[in-house]
Amino acid sequence: MKSNNDNPTFESYNRDPKLYDEIFDENDNVRQTYKTLFELYSEHSAQDFGRLNNKAKSSFFNQGITFQVYGDHEIKEKIFPFDLFPRIIDPEEWEVIEKGVLQRSKALNAFLWDLYHDKNIIKEGIVPLDLISSSENYLDQMNGFDPPGGIYNHISGTDLIKHSDGKYYVLEDNIRCPSGVSYVICNRTALKRALFGVFNHYQAHTVTDYAENLLEILETVKPKGVDVPNCVVITPGIYNSAYYEHSYLAKAMGVELVEGRDLFVENDFVYMKTINGPEKVDVIYRRIDDQFIDPLEFKPDSALGVPGLMASYKKGNVCLVNAPGTGVADDKAIYTYMPEIIKYYLDEEPILNNVPTYHCSRPDELKYVLENVHNLVIKPVDEAGGYGISIGNRLSKDEIEEVKKTIQASPRKYIAQPIMSLSVHPTYIEENECFEPRHVDLRTFTLLGAGKDFVLKGGLTRVALQKGNLIVNSSQGGGSKDTWVLKNNQ
Amino acid sequence: MNLDYNIRYTAKNTYENKASSALWQFLIIPENNESQELLQDDFTNSLNIPVERSINGYDFPTYRIRPKQTFEEIEFTADFKLIKKVENIFEKVSQEFSEKEYEELNSLKFKAENDVFLRYTDLTTLHQEVDFKFDKSISLFQNLQELNSWIKKEFIFKTNVTDIDTDLSHILEIKQGVCQDFTHLFIAIAKQFGIPSRYVSGYLHQGNGYFGDSQMHAWVECCLPNSGWIGFDPTNNLIAAENHIKVAHGKDYSDCPPLKGVVFSSGKNETEYTVQVSSQQQQ
Repeated sequence: MKSNNDNPTFESYNRDPKLYDEIFDENDNVRQTYKTLFELYSEHSAQDFGRLNNKAKSSFFNQGITFQVYGDHEIKEKIFPFDLFPRIIDPEEWEVIEKGVLQRSKALNAFLWDLYHDKNIIKEGIVPLDLISSSENYLDQMNGFDPPGGIYNHISGTDLIKHSDGKYYVLEDNIRCPSGVSYVICNRTALKRALFGVFNHYQAHTVTDYAENLLEILETVKPKGVDVPNCVVITPGIYNSAYYEHSYLAKAMGVELVEGRDLFVENDFVYMKTINGPEKVDVIYRRIDDQFIDPLEFKPDSALGVPGLMASYKKGNVCLVNAPGTGVADDKAIYTYMPEIIKYYLDEEPILNNVPTYHCSRPDELKYVLENVHNLVIKPVDEAGGYGISIGNRLSKDEIEEVKKTIQASPRKYIAQPIMSLSVHPTYIEENECFEPRHVDLRTFTLLGAGKDFVLKGGLTRVALQKGNLIVNSSQGGGSKDTWVLKNNQ
Repeated sequence: MNLDYNIRYTAKNTYENKASSALWQFLIIPENNESQELLQDDFTNSLNIPVERSINGYDFPTYRIRPKQTFEEIEFTADFKLIKKVENIFEKVSQEFSEKEYEELNSLKFKAENDVFLRYTDLTTLHQEVDFKFDKSISLFQNLQELNSWIKKEFIFKTNVTDIDTDLSHILEIKQGVCQDFTHLFIAIAKQFGIPSRYVSGYLHQGNGYFGDSQMHAWVECCLPNSGWIGFDPTNNLIAAENHIKVAHGKDYSDCPPLKGVVFSSGKNETEYTVQVSSQQQQ
């Protein structure tokens, strides 16, 4: 542990040889990419980091960058804890990630087109029909409809982890309303404010170009006959956990942030109420779930949506981003077919690994799962945000029996995966006033438009702040790190 | 030979307290298809609000009304003229037993193509066994005819014992209901056997010169590998033909109610509607 001891704030940093540590190699030497950073950090004392940590925290509070946690009884407003030790990804590694996530987004888009048109992948028996027909996220209304530009998942958030073998694995593809991109930008701002002297030693790609690229993507899917489209962001409102992000994106794109009640439909065109009278809207980046976008077509009691919106969309007078019905393809059961889906539509080998998965809907795999719950992560197929996940080796005997019963009651609802050991990264722990290893993942952001695509060179590194915890979602008490994608090697 | 139809749909919505804004969508326009041609349609309302034409989620044409003033009561009147082809459905369908038809019914290709109408919905899910059994030695069409007459025989048409949310368990228990209940039951049983089935909303001509109170009707369309979509009316044990004027279809009633609305009002509200269908044989 000699290299650790050079740096007082790393004195108590215990590298676990079973886990992949992102900054120390197996001989406890600092990896090349992190050398400069490590040296610069050793100039600071533990007290300095304590002070910097408070500074960063108040910067988030002051900017009002908060989110809400949905619990059993109450809703709490929290800041998303920001960590002082940035994640650094070198150019070679990033190239693989970027190509890999773009490949997945394109394959998913082709898959969605097929599911809502000829269904060839089903007819050829590659993806089981059951998975589609039992999916609550398949929207019949989209059957046979051609979305503008042929794009369904304009915005994808792909979650990756680095396993103990040092390779990236995709955990899930989020193609409904993936959030988090505003934190990427805020983290960069906060990091630069707190530690500019460190940041300027590295050549990292900017992340602030996300909004301009998003706007360009929105403009590529404008309705026919529109010259310069009027784009808006629609939010469920200030009580939504991602409201900060909705307002940030609207502001950064220079477009209006609206709620359902700000829009109305007349003769199948969508208008925004303004003080100068109605203004036609052409492209809507909607951060409202499918079932709430149009009370005339979906949940009739939804006050969040716009009555008549779906018909305007189907008539080609407005474009919805992402398209309704994308949820059918980001089902966790569909995830397990991603390698086949990529080969089928793109005739390419998957660039990024998938975590091997057992389907409880298949009798032989169900049997394996029931016998090996203690070695597996059990996930419900249709829950987002880390809710309902059981990690086998953390469960008591009684809890394992309980989980088995739940699975047996509705096998289709669950998948199981080996317990992946997420890589660890030095993270400032307030209570101990020092850096300790904590598990991290990486959410990337990919944009698909008509004839244009974009992958944000950066991402949201989420960190599980509780020691040993593997669930990094913000709703489960995770924090995040600024993530640098380097322009060239250090 | 053809039949000329005149259809009048009238509705009246009343609100306990003044309503300030609303959007109504009417799914009442007869569909243009192989067997019927809509010649004329006209839609008016007592508040003289301009009528918009739109579509529902399944692309069936609709009327929309959006009042800009407050109201307590509004009446709507729609008039349709159409021509209905008189044809012998029995000549169109394959009545003979064929093993190939069963094979095709169970093929992945057929199931994938008709997936939407093989899916169960809350209103078309059976929670218990029914006494009706399919006979694999006769054709699919014959089986569905048997199912049609079984429902007619076992269930009694009775209004006000069920409503739009009544599930099949209750209907099987009381053995009573109206056209939409029998339609849901038929769909559930046919789907269980793997026959793609959909809910049809439309008008029924109950006889020339028939006037007075009447409602919109519901029946079933089933997709048979050898014959395509065929209509069955379990309420009357009929094959849907020249007396059945189709408006729209969906997975169940909730996909095609004649009137949907988003109304901002407090208190109770009520909708009453009547339908008149009259026909004349073309000379």
